[in-house]
Amino acid sequence: MNNSRAIDLAQITKTYKTGSLEVPALQGIDLVVERGEYVAIMGPSGSGKSTLMNIIGCLDRPTSGSYHLDGEDVSHLDDNALATIRLRKLGFVFQGFNLLARTDAINNVALPLFYAGVSTRERRARALTMLTEVGLADRAHHKPSELSGGQQQRVAIARALVNDPAVLLADEPTGNLDTKTSADIMALIDQLHAGGRTIIMVTHDENIARNARRVVRLLDGAIVSDEAMDHQKVAKG
Amino acid sequence: MMYFEEALRVLVANKMRTFLTTIGLIIGVFAVISIEVLGHSMAGSISETLGALADNSFILFPGSFQGDFARAAMRLSDLDNIVATVPNISSAVPIGGAQELVRYGHNVGRFRLFSDANPPFANLPLAYGRYLSDDDIASAADATVLSWAAYQRLFPDGGDPSGESVYAGTHRYVVVGVLAKPRQGLLNATFGGDVSIPYTTYVREFVHGDRIFAARFTVRDTSIIPETEAAVINRVRQLRNIGKDVQYKTFDKAAFTGGIDGVFNAVTIVVGLIGAVSLVVAGIGVMNIMLVSINERTREIGTRKAIGARKGQILMQFFIEAALLSSFGCFVGMALGLLAGGLINSIFIVKLTGYTAPPPYAQALIITLTFAAIVTLAFGSYPAYRAASLDPIEALRYE
Repeated sequence: MNNSRAIDLAQITKTYKTGSLEVPALQGIDLVVERGEYVAIMGPSGSGKSTLMNIIGCLDRPTSGSYHLDGEDVSHLDDNALATIRLRKLGFVFQGFNLLARTDAINNVALPLFYAGVSTRERRARALTMLTEVGLADRAHHKPSELSGGQQQRVAIARALVNDPAVLLADEPTGNLDTKTSADIMALIDQLHAGGRTIIMVTHDENIARNARRVVRLLDGAIVSDEAMDHQKVAKG
Repeated sequence: MMYFEEALRVLVANKMRTFLTTIGLIIGVFAVISIEVLGHSMAGSISETLGALADNSFILFPGSFQGDFARAAMRLSDLDNIVATVPNISSAVPIGGAQELVRYGHNVGRFRLFSDANPPFANLPLAYGRYLSDDDIASAADATVLSWAAYQRLFPDGGDPSGESVYAGTHRYVVVGVLAKPRQGLLNATFGGDVSIPYTTYVREFVHGDRIFAARFTVRDTSIIPETEAAVINRVRQLRNIGKDVQYKTFDKAAFTGGIDGVFNAVTIVVGLIGAVSLVVAGIGVMNIMLVSINERTREIGTRKAIGARKGQILMQFFIEAALLSSFGCFVGMALGLLAGGLINSIFIVKLTGYTAPPPYAQALIITLTFAAIVTLAFGSYPAYRAASLDPIEALRYE
């Protein structure tokens, strides 16, 4: 297995059972994402992109096939082992931000470190560094309700990155944002990519997908296209 | 601890809900603790009363509801015989009393003359003078020790009455001492009489013929009082040549305290049952609100799991929230219970008896912690487990 690969999916299938009926959601996905890549996964609803995202995000296990994340085989781990993998190797950014409502920004960002057993002092220091990186150091003690949508998503991104994950997973990161704010968030993600982060983004929005360097399209549980984006052609702003 | 901070934030954010949820617990613990405080002080005041009763002696008297009452009467001579023949008995004195008008100067009161010995019947300290001495008894002296009540009536101006003479009927007694005011306790019982005279003097003046009503025995070994009582009753029956159909009764401190303890144990069981019922009701309330809270926070739980929280960590979070919720209710209940119990105690019992029991803080704390622990374990575990078992994908999708 090539250790430089962030993600290596081989012949991944996922079948849901509803009673006696078997519904195939993924039918033999092969996908390799190298470190530092910026990939968008696209597809209409029912194409299996959410299922694929859940498997890549270690929230779900494939029915068959193998999955290596950051060089580690995670295809057959139990719930707690998967939780540990998510904690150490993955960062999630959700469409709805999913911040803890009653908790200020810095403690939201520090949450993964709490589950990792990092000391209070170090949690605060690292969370503040991360907030500074997303440009919100001055909002550290604001609650999510006191922040704009864009700011909340920045806090969420800081939270996703605070444990220095191998892969950043973004599920419709701009789905709840207006065009202007979306552009800001996409610029931030771009900047993270430039800094060497591996980023996988699920979206149905062509304009957003165009920010990625590579676009993988799904249909009926299979990859139908996998193309690199020529960024010289993409007009920005 | 972040778990505590988070749980606290949740409970504070939902103040009204937290309060309503814990009201059952507050009332339950309040009831149990306040009754505990009252029971404690009642028990204390009763044992205080009984403290005046010497624990190395017992009284023997014929059962009053029987036809052969006359046959049952003991003779003075029996007492010496019993001391000689029953091994554990160290002394025996006749007990008797007579209501008399007692006079000192112009002050008169109707008091009970009472035969006493050395050591005296009631275990009370002296206010003035001394107890009856062996010499008083040996010589059947006309000496008396007054109770505090008699002293107050006969000597309203106070002062040490030692050496003064009081008259009972036509008979003159010299006051040698005054007993201190007894702590009454809840039982308004005084042991002994108001005007204690040597039993020898009592026998000379009041016992006509040989018959005595009752007798007080002192024992050497206090651990076998019940056996000794039985032996004495047997001996009396032999001496009187009567059968088991003639009843005698005994009265000793241990038996009496045992009876009182029985009453308090019954009260404790009833209070315990009330507590158990309120515990279940309150616990169901806690469980209900925890389930509601978890339902509301399904997405939050999903997010936490996606971030990497393990099952045990989610479990711990909600478990601590339940623990905090029930501890809050229990400790508020405890505070109110101690307050109310103490208040009722000081208004009624202390005023009535003059006896102040220290509040049972340790017991209250144990009851409270037990309550909180049981509610948390029995009713907090399931919701916490349910939260921990949520599927992260389902939970994240939850609207």
